[in-house]
Amino acid sequence: MEDLERLYKTHYPAVVRFLFRKIWDADRAEDLAQEVFIRAMAHQPEKPRAWIFAVAANLARDEARSAIRRRKHLVLLKDDPVPLSTPDMSAEETVEKDERWAKVTNALAALSERDRDVLLLWDGGLSYPEIAAQTGLAVGAVGTTLARARKRLIEAHDRMDYQADAARS
Amino acid sequence: MTEWTIRQMRHVPEDELHAYLDQALSRSQCAEIETHMADCGRCRDLRDGTAALRDRTTALLGQLSPRALIVAPPYEMLIQRKGLIPIPPDWRRRVRRAGLWAAGFVAAVGAGWVGRSLLEPRQFAPAPLALQTPEQSGPAAPISDGLAPNAATDFQPAATPIPISERAPRYLAPRSNRLADAVVPPPSLQIVSVGLSSRGSAVSEPAPLIRSEDRSPFSRIWRRVEWEDALQIAGSAMPFIEGMPVIGVLLQPGAPDERPTVIVAQQDASGEVIQSIEGPQDKVNELLARQNTPDVNRSALTRTPPDYVEVGGGVRRTLRMLTVTGRLSVDSLNALLRVVTIR
Repeated sequence: MEDLERLYKTHYPAVVRFLFRKIWDADRAEDLAQEVFIRAMAHQPEKPRAWIFAVAANLARDEARSAIRRRKHLVLLKDDPVPLSTPDMSAEETVEKDERWAKVTNALAALSERDRDVLLLWDGGLSYPEIAAQTGLAVGAVGTTLARARKRLIEAHDRMDYQADAARS
Repeated sequence: MTEWTIRQMRHVPEDELHAYLDQALSRSQCAEIETHMADCGRCRDLRDGTAALRDRTTALLGQLSPRALIVAPPYEMLIQRKGLIPIPPDWRRRVRRAGLWAAGFVAAVGAGWVGRSLLEPRQFAPAPLALQTPEQSGPAAPISDGLAPNAATDFQPAATPIPISERAPRYLAPRSNRLADAVVPPPSLQIVSVGLSSRGSAVSEPAPLIRSEDRSPFSRIWRRVEWEDALQIAGSAMPFIEGMPVIGVLLQPGAPDERPTVIVAQQDASGEVIQSIEGPQDKVNELLARQNTPDVNRSALTRTPPDYVEVGGGVRRTLRMLTVTGRLSVDSLNALLRVVTIR
């Protein structure tokens, strides 16, 4: 239980971010993250970190499905970024942040599902073997997938940067 | 060129550099890469580029954070919430539970099939009857139409028509059912009761219902048939009680120009199976004699129109009888016999 508590304190933000990047709803991401840890308390998994992200991925998938059923736009939608503006930001700053947000979300959406999963799991703090176990890839293939995903993300983001600059000029 | 030199000359692949920067390689692999990069400017440049790509990716993903600072709620609050949220079983439990459900379903189907196969003969064959003994039944009386009693079955016909009990019969037929809707109600058969006595000792010989006495092994075999088919085959020899659903019909073809022997099994509102047996007198008696379940009673025997068969230029008259059997009181069965119709 102590291990789980420690894991909760260290990994809770990562799990929230991981979930948020899949469902694009901050409050729901926090709810689901707490549910993940509550389930972990009940099940006491042997490898809690990998288990937590696996359950989080499943919950996010279920959430996306139910969102589709409810016809709510909680899933990753290219045309509907959900920036979280800070109240003290100026209008110009808010617009700029929205643009940045849109570019990153669109770049992430441009990845294949597998590349995106591997990238988000790595960003969540999972090791290569844990990513391999969750995605079904060979451990040796995780580095290759990750290299490709990073490159494509940056390329997509730069392309959008270029298109935005061209539109401005 | 030695192997060591070859290894030194091999440039580090890009995916290995990603794994190296992610600290996903073993210590020996890291040492090998660092040894190589110490002498290889190209791989060092590639490492720097990979590290920049990695950092940029991290920075970009960092922008996709729901809040600038994510603070975990107190762990104690999570424990409190644990009691409020139903925890679904993990997949192993689900699989185990699904397996158990499937096994239970298969077992239930199997048990039902076995049970049905065991029960079916009892359901569709004449229910075993307890037959009276001569001592219990009292003195024999002549049958109204002059038929001699069948000594083999120990029937002791009553001298007068069976008085139906004053109390209401157990069976109360519904106003209509599927069968009654499908079949035009035929005129009721005028019942001439020829005898009924109280239950007596059981005939202990269990015998198979289906027995062919014909030379052809199949021509006289008992067959289970659908109602419509039975109507076609049996014609006017189909006995049934209006208002009760038919659950099965057993039929044994008779000799040429003879109507078949028919057993119609029906179920009353309480679930009891009632069987109406109509056929040649000796056949009906034989069937009744082969019953051995003491709690199954039979109604009075009543005559139905006989068969007339041409034999060697003459005409042979075959008497036919009707009776109703079931786990009901004799009075109830007699009451049912009064409402048996023969199509």
